[in-house]
Amino acid sequence: MVARPALRRVAIPSSLRTSTTHLESRISRSPFSTTLQSRNNQKPNNNNSVPEYAIPDPARPTHFGFETVTEAEKRERVAGVFTSVAESYDRMNDLMSFGWHRVWKDHFVSSLNPGFTPLTAPGSSPLAPQHILDIAGGTGDIAFRMLHNAHVINGNQDVRVTISDINPAMLTVGKQRSSALPASQQAVLSFLEANAEDLTQTKPLGANQVGYSPTNGIPDESVDLYTVAFGIRNFSNIPAALREAYRVLKPGGVFACLEFSKADKHPLFNTIYKQWSFSAIPLIGQLVAGDRDSYQYLVESIEKFPSQEDFRDMIVDAGFVVGGKGYEDLTGGVAAIHKGMKPRRK
Amino acid sequence: MRPSPTPLRRAARQILSSSFTTIRAAAPAHRSLSSITTTSTGSDCTCGNGRTTARRPQIQSNQNPQQQQQQRSSYHSYDHPSPPASFTPVEESILSAAYLHVPAHGFTSSALVAGARDAGYLDISPTILPEGAFTLIRYHLVKQREGLAARAREVFGGEGHVGAYKLGGLSEGEIKGRVEALMWKASREQGGYWTVAGAIMAQPSYVPPSLKELALLSDEILFLAGDSSVDPSWYTKRVSLSTIYAAAELFMTNDHSPEFMDTRAFLNRRLREVNEVGGVFRNMREWVGFTATAGVNVLRSKGVRI
Ligand SMILES: C[S@@+](CC[C@H](N)C(=O)[O-])C[C@H]1O[C@@H](n2cnc3c(N)ncnc32)[C@H](O)[C@@H]1O
Repeated sequence: MVARPALRRVAIPSSLRTSTTHLESRISRSPFSTTLQSRNNQKPNNNNSVPEYAIPDPARPTHFGFETVTEAEKRERVAGVFTSVAESYDRMNDLMSFGWHRVWKDHFVSSLNPGFTPLTAPGSSPLAPQHILDIAGGTGDIAFRMLHNAHVINGNQDVRVTISDINPAMLTVGKQRSSALPASQQAVLSFLEANAEDLTQTKPLGANQVGYSPTNGIPDESVDLYTVAFGIRNFSNIPAALREAYRVLKPGGVFACLEFSKADKHPLFNTIYKQWSFSAIPLIGQLVAGDRDSYQYLVESIEKFPSQEDFRDMIVDAGFVVGGKGYEDLTGGVAAIHKGMKPRRK
Repeated sequence: MRPSPTPLRRAARQILSSSFTTIRAAAPAHRSLSSITTTSTGSDCTCGNGRTTARRPQIQSNQNPQQQQQQRSSYHSYDHPSPPASFTPVEESILSAAYLHVPAHGFTSSALVAGARDAGYLDISPTILPEGAFTLIRYHLVKQREGLAARAREVFGGEGHVGAYKLGGLSEGEIKGRVEALMWKASREQGGYWTVAGAIMAQPSYVPPSLKELALLSDEILFLAGDSSVDPSWYTKRVSLSTIYAAAELFMTNDHSPEFMDTRAFLNRRLREVNEVGGVFRNMREWVGFTATAGVNVLRSKGVRI
């Protein structure tokens, strides 16, 4: 078991939920970095005019669940949560989604169909190499599926995957799990410690802390597919992460995000689902993992994440183009997939 | 995987219920394409008949000359519709390039990826299209519709449908002949790749959008054929034509007769049935039947044991 740092917050008992609601409404009116920013009219993909809110600022307020903290503090406390749940992570996912997260992840990966190439495109090589960057990749769930889809289903061995996470504890669990993969897949898999909000500073997992110079950031336009599954709501500054995604993607490259979302198009279902998540999940978290606070945070962070439409607008603001309405609801909107493509240079 | 009767029945029910709602929903968009804004009926959005009324030649004669002038120019703009708003510029650039690969690859992800490469994108790029390969089918139906006015000119000579109004209305029989000729022309120009499209369109979630596009296409066929009737049978005819069109294209994929004679006979039989009681429903059943069969065949060809 990984050492569990004391979380500095106290779970809010359901009897005090009204005061939470009060707090929540106060938060949603404030200009925090994880909420949708007022759309400013500057050209989104114009890099020399990055909006102020997309530049990480350790002192800027943001949410940690229903609490208000600074961006730096959130980063630290999210690290606490995931260090704490790294071991029980799979069980946690099953609990929070009734096991649906496996189905969602399968769908997410097959909808991206990595490694797919037309069999006989005239005048071009049928197989094309791809570089997939799985951000907040944690224990490897998405990355392993990507590899399987590319190498086994599409028979394209020329697809490599970088699993990146801010948290070495999660990456270590992922690395352990990857030893069960075929050698050919392990060979194209790498693990990278990085903060999604600044991918210019990265560190291979296990690299010596002392004397390691973080010069090997992820270069501009080097990635075909950027994925982030159940990670982005934990970021301190989502607009900054979206801009980094835009930077590292090649023109034509795709940003794809799987995240818990809003089921409020189905009011009855939504009520039941919320009841379940707010009352049962923290309790089960306590019973299963002996850790109520971390699970309370996870539930609250889902609640605080922007709606499908608002998040889509944030993606467009970062310079991406979307197809159709830009997202796909899963299981009535309990989760959603958002995709955006970096347009070609003019 | 064996398609159980239940999803089929569900699809059929969806067809029945959605054809009418989608047709209504489709009507205003279609009207805005023809930009008829000057007629008194034109603003009546809630009434599906408003749009057809607006196009009727009788209405024209009630208008003052200036309105008539605008009405005519709207017909003209109708002949050269601006690119539909249904696709964004990026989607359009991938889809138009992918469409050229349909003869070789069918309505598949392969065609999409090949098109993306041609348009200067990556293999992964088409995955932003929310409906995958179905987007390509929708694109095809939109192109069919847009190309119809030109076909009408080819088939009927002169100004196509405008000529019909000059004739001062056509008899029922003439209209039927023109409908048949137009549909024949439209489906004749399809390659043998419609089977895959049929299989994809038969997936329950794609049935409503397929029907919407087919309804718009039928609308156009009726309009160009000079059918200006304004009565409840308008909807019925549209629905019938949609299903007949799809069925004829599917029929053609298995037709080995010279010059597709069998398909033409099939098309004629189906069109004759439209006015018979129950004709519509029989046609829908046939379409569902055809697409299901086609779907099974495609899956079989992919090695799925059914
Ligand atoms: C719920 S896990 C998702 C793991 C995996 N993608 C999956 O779907 O199973 C969220 C991950 O986000 C990571 N994370 C949180 N903030 C991050 C940041 N700023 N940059 C990179 N990763 C971050 C956490 O360390 C954690 O591993």
